[in-house]
Amino acid sequence: MFVTESMNTDLVTIGPDATLDQARLLMAEKNIRHLPVIDESEKLLGIVSDRDMRSAQPSSLLGAEEYEATMAQVMGRRVEEIMTRDPLTISVFYTLQDTLLVMQKRKVGALPVVDEHGRLKGIMSTRDLLRAFVNIMGIGEPGSLLCILVKDQPGQMKKIVDIITEENVSLGSVLVARYWDKDKRAVFPYLMTTNVMTIKEKLIAQGFELLNPMTWYIDQLPQKRP
Amino acid sequence: MNRTGFVYDERYLKHITFDGHPECFQRLEAIVAGLQEAGLMEKLVPIAAEPANQKWIEAVHSIHYIVRIEDACLMGLPDVDHQDNSICRDTYDIALLAAGGVLKAIDQLMAGRIDNAFCAVRPPGHHAETEKAMGFCFFNNVAIGARYLQQHWGIEKIAIIDFDVHHGNGTQQIFENDSSVFYYSIHEHPSFAYPGTGRDFEQGSAEGEGFTLNTPILPGRGDMDYRKKLTTDMVPAIKRFEPEVLLVSAGFDGHSSDLMSGVNLSAEGYKFISETLMNLANRYTGGRLISVLEGGYNLDILSSLVADHLKVLIEQ
Repeated sequence: MFVTESMNTDLVTIGPDATLDQARLLMAEKNIRHLPVIDESEKLLGIVSDRDMRSAQPSSLLGAEEYEATMAQVMGRRVEEIMTRDPLTISVFYTLQDTLLVMQKRKVGALPVVDEHGRLKGIMSTRDLLRAFVNIMGIGEPGSLLCILVKDQPGQMKKIVDIITEENVSLGSVLVARYWDKDKRAVFPYLMTTNVMTIKEKLIAQGFELLNPMTWYIDQLPQKRP
Repeated sequence: MNRTGFVYDERYLKHITFDGHPECFQRLEAIVAGLQEAGLMEKLVPIAAEPANQKWIEAVHSIHYIVRIEDACLMGLPDVDHQDNSICRDTYDIALLAAGGVLKAIDQLMAGRIDNAFCAVRPPGHHAETEKAMGFCFFNNVAIGARYLQQHWGIEKIAIIDFDVHHGNGTQQIFENDSSVFYYSIHEHPSFAYPGTGRDFEQGSAEGEGFTLNTPILPGRGDMDYRKKLTTDMVPAIKRFEPEVLLVSAGFDGHSSDLMSGVNLSAEGYKFISETLMNLANRYTGGRLISVLEGGYNLDILSSLVADHLKVLIEQ
């Protein structure tokens, strides 16, 4: 689960010597808010954001004549002069988990992905990350979720997977969650089928408890149990 | 007492799924036995099924898809598109007969020979998309019925109400851009139940925006939420849409003893659904309602729930 499988590689970039006017037009045309600045060897030099662009522009409170004159002057300046140098990047060896944590910690919405030579390889945005996690959970494809209560001891998952395998059903994902009782866990296999009847029968026959997810949820509410 | 039509044909038993498959021919045997036991058979107007003309299947599905299903059956393949969709050599013919049964019921209704009808058909239909078999379904019987009502009988506005515990992704997909067919579905929440669609923010698109309405029900909420939501979601939507005919995708798989789902409906809850539907029909479509069997996999429960459903169709 590396970022390279999920990042956006359809890149819009600009060179350091381009003018602010060129950058402005490009961002408007492609409807983007971050423009990576790269040199001829594709090395990432910086990023120009729409915020950088706005702060470079003259105040809208200026008179029309003065505004136009300053604007013309400013728009001829070079991108390199206003870009954010050494932006936060992630490497092509970052996993989706790394990316999730770094985005959460640094509160950023998009990160440039660079290789070991600092060359820009892609952009990973929260939108790309969401798509990747929909894929990981398997919920983009039809299926059914089972909610099973198991003892927190080795071998439980094998029994569940064996039953699912016997019925020749594919797994979309398996989530495991904490349960109230310390020695128990809740297991949520997402099965790529509508035919859950036989699997449920076999699980019950093997002594597993099928959870009513709503009871489970209500039990977890803080006011119910301190 | 209403003249309630009943579509059934012994040939529906010839669509044979693999051993242990929930969508088995015994479902229809159980339904027929249950109706006989409840003394309802003599109160029903029997309607003989005929295979649907391919023209009407093509009103919903692409010709490539239709041929693909036929080929898979002819070649003796075990399933189509997914192992859930178990087939035998006769499946294609029986699927035509299932859709055809619905069309026959429509003919009787439109000719004024019956007031409403229940179609005990299989294979079911509401998961079948334009180009894809899903969830035991091959041809979307209800959707084909809706197009037939429009193109053969000149009906303009049709509401499809789907109370199978699973979301009718096929019916939604077929009509999502269409403002002449309103699709309402109430089902177990897609985070828990197949097929994982039917969230409340799916409301149709393009010209059909606002003509799809989904009510997902969280597991275990049963009768209480169904009563509330049918009253607050479905009734006002149908009232606003003013359909001329109601088509119903009738699934009985949400009962607490049906292992295919977890919403925990009771027989009383199902009775409330049937009564609410008949109220709607009597109020807005002159009683014109055609109910078509979708799911329901606990054989004992299925037979009594269908009998209860038909009692309401006959009496209300």
